[in-house]
Amino acid sequence: MPTKEEVIRSLVSHHFRVEAGLEQILVIPGEAAEPIKLLEVNANTFPSGTVDVFAFSPTQDVPFVTEIAEVTPEEFERLKRRDLSLPAGWTLVGATAVHRPAA
Amino acid sequence: MTRRERFALAFYDQAKSDWDVYNSLAKLRLARCHELHYLQMACEKLAKAYALRKVDADVDSVTEQHVAFHSFINAYLRSPAVAKAYAGQDARHRELCKTSGTIAREIEKLAPAVDRKAFPENAEYPWERGDTVLTPCKYSFPALSLLEEPGGRAFLRLVAEVVRDYTPTA
Repeated sequence: MPTKEEVIRSLVSHHFRVEAGLEQILVIPGEAAEPIKLLEVNANTFPSGTVDVFAFSPTQDVPFVTEIAEVTPEEFERLKRRDLSLPAGWTLVGATAVHRPAA
Repeated sequence: MTRRERFALAFYDQAKSDWDVYNSLAKLRLARCHELHYLQMACEKLAKAYALRKVDADVDSVTEQHVAFHSFINAYLRSPAVAKAYAGQDARHRELCKTSGTIAREIEKLAPAVDRKAFPENAEYPWERGDTVLTPCKYSFPALSLLEEPGGRAFLRLVAEVVRDYTPTA
């Protein structure tokens, strides 16, 4: 069974491949038993003024619950300024930022 | 069952019922606004039902505030299950993401919670453009003509899949 870190690397790589607007993905820290949490900064999305998180079931390849939220680059700046809040259980403290690989 | 799960299931049940009405109306060839109204309502409730799968979701916030449907569809398209279904087909997956994201946003603009000054077109109430008053039942909703194209049909199949695969806990 792949480790959580391996699965995260694979998910992040796949997300960059299928969504051209993704600028960076923040892997939100959590305990081993917690879901994988990805905050995705997407220039192709629209501001909603909130950070909505959606949870997805494990699969054979991704044997962890995966939570995904996306924000615009402007909303991400607001999050950093604490002008916009993250939902319960999510924090930018200790988050790992993965930037889009150079083409 | 927790309060969160009870609400999650309730939003799902209502979304599924709205989705069934959408499909029934789509066959009747009535004014387009009616089917779009039910499609928008189904999509909005599906987004809430999925937001309520997060085990520590703030139930009151999710039930009372607008949950962005386009954010949900974008997240769903990058979920492990969809990634698996499109394994080895990145170009196809990319195209689905692009088209579905656009359509999801257009459907979301019909929602009452969206800024009516910025996006006056909606499926329920007349609106004004210059000196003209436009009526939903006589309006063609050109931004949603994408629904009749191959990308639109793929989007509707995606919504059908979202409806079919739902469970109140991830």
